[in-house]
Amino acid sequence: MSSLNLPRILIQVWAFVIKNWIITKRNVFSLFEILFWPVVGFFSVGLLTSFLGLNADMSGFILIGVISISVIQVCQIDVAYVLLYDLWSKSLKHTFIAPVHPFQLISGSWLIGVIRSFVVFLLLSLLSALAFDFNFLKPGLGPLLLFLLGLFLLSVLIGIGVCILVLLFGYKAEVAAWSITSLMALICGIYYPISILPSPLHEIARAIPLTYFLEYFRSFYGFKNGGNLLAWGFGEIGVYLAIEAVLFKIVLYRARRTGALIKLSE
Amino acid sequence: MSLAIKAEGIFKTFRSGWLGKKQKLVLKGIDLQIEEGEIFGILGPNGAGKTTLLSILSTLLFPDRGKIQILGMDGLREGHRVRTKVNISSGNANFLWSLTVKENLHFYGMLYGLNGNQRAEKIKALIKLFNLEEHQDVSFDRLSTGMKQRLSLAKSLINDPAVLFLDEPTVGLDPSVSITIREQIRLIQKERKMTVLLTTHNMKEAEYLCNRIAFLKDGEILTTGTTETLKRMTRMGEVVKIEFKGTISEDELLRAEGVINYGISGNLCEIIVDDLERRLGNVVVLLSQGGAQIKKVTLGQTDLEDVFIEFAKDTDSGMGLCD
Repeated sequence: MSSLNLPRILIQVWAFVIKNWIITKRNVFSLFEILFWPVVGFFSVGLLTSFLGLNADMSGFILIGVISISVIQVCQIDVAYVLLYDLWSKSLKHTFIAPVHPFQLISGSWLIGVIRSFVVFLLLSLLSALAFDFNFLKPGLGPLLLFLLGLFLLSVLIGIGVCILVLLFGYKAEVAAWSITSLMALICGIYYPISILPSPLHEIARAIPLTYFLEYFRSFYGFKNGGNLLAWGFGEIGVYLAIEAVLFKIVLYRARRTGALIKLSE
Repeated sequence: MSLAIKAEGIFKTFRSGWLGKKQKLVLKGIDLQIEEGEIFGILGPNGAGKTTLLSILSTLLFPDRGKIQILGMDGLREGHRVRTKVNISSGNANFLWSLTVKENLHFYGMLYGLNGNQRAEKIKALIKLFNLEEHQDVSFDRLSTGMKQRLSLAKSLINDPAVLFLDEPTVGLDPSVSITIREQIRLIQKERKMTVLLTTHNMKEAEYLCNRIAFLKDGEILTTGTTETLKRMTRMGEVVKIEFKGTISEDELLRAEGVINYGISGNLCEIIVDDLERRLGNVVVLLSQGGAQIKKVTLGQTDLEDVFIEFAKDTDSGMGLCD
């Protein structure tokens, strides 16, 4: 058993931060990811709430959802990019012949995802204050940070899921990086409360942590919900992360057995 | 001398199609022993299983069964530890497209845990070693094939590996670049005394670089040995071409020590001897005494390619040769 070498581990984690950062800053589309799509989506929905003449609480309800889904989308895509960039460059085998653990891949790319999505959050919350008079700080700093932590952790959960699918199905799975979040928007109550969903979807929504984080944060704006919402949200994340850690190990083992790492590098 | 690589009974099957019903047995019980500091070549045609074997030994691929030891470590159970001591460079190299040469080297250097100063010094030295100075700030997708290959070799040395795997390092390169790359490989190995396992289907490359060679065909090692040993084993020998006037006594040629075969066509006699250095004098004397007037003597050597073809032929006809 090799001894724990913390500086070495941190350098390896930082490698993935640097990699994503360099690729992001060179790619004009990443600017679209941070600025264009979130802002366009935010204004489209925000203006719709004005047109419909919704009151401040109702508008806030929807704006919280829209900003949350933008934060999640930007953060999770960075986690997914850790393998997608290698997949597109056909350099997967060089990453996996290096002595790195999956957690280093994930935590490095998650870190840059958190930074990028926090920028998105700051931008959108500022715009929501200026354009729609919505105050994101009303619940206080503590609840806001807990809410954001929940979103960031959920993002890593989705990103790992995409990575698992990429290792299993290769190029066929890259679409998951853009579609999982949209599916969540449908089920978890981004634009409406989950109570309006038909029965099976309602139960599915309860199995997704985002539902609880949204209900938690909206409770500060007059949409009260019973139960310990944060405990449920973080509890589910803990369980899913543990499952994904095992699954990642299994699919990586499978990729080494089937030759997927080599095939995806050719 | 201790072993750098030891493989025993390596089998590998690839499955494809619906539920993996199509199966292809790619490696059929490979045994291999490579000593530390050796340049060992795995030679074989396309589809022989060279890359599969190299991928297994470098921990990128798990075998169906068999044992692997790399530098005394279990290649299957201690993959992570093994990866700190090995590295790989492949022909048709691919790295992160939008990263420059220098950035790619920094990224991979970080993956091996090299800290800032240590990494910067090493990268500077590698860029110099592979003449990449002018291209260090060029993104990977704008490099020529030769430059990409040099970057691949530079990356493979970033962690000072004790064992270096080279998968067809000169494939797709033009001859002059191939020669430069081969010279660099030889020089680096000599300086760093690392073990190099190289796959190639280029016989000249194997002959130039390798201390020992294994012939791989259809997932089986036909034989292993030095170039000279293999040539002797096939009894293909070395060729001497003699232009003469007069007559040659074929009976005497047949009786001559060391002569494997001969052929006469007009005024040209082609004789195959087991050891050119030892037999040439005798052969010339014998022909002169028999009444032939020697006009010109040309020496030739058996190509490793001929040796491989001979081995493959013997295997196909069920006469497998062994070391």
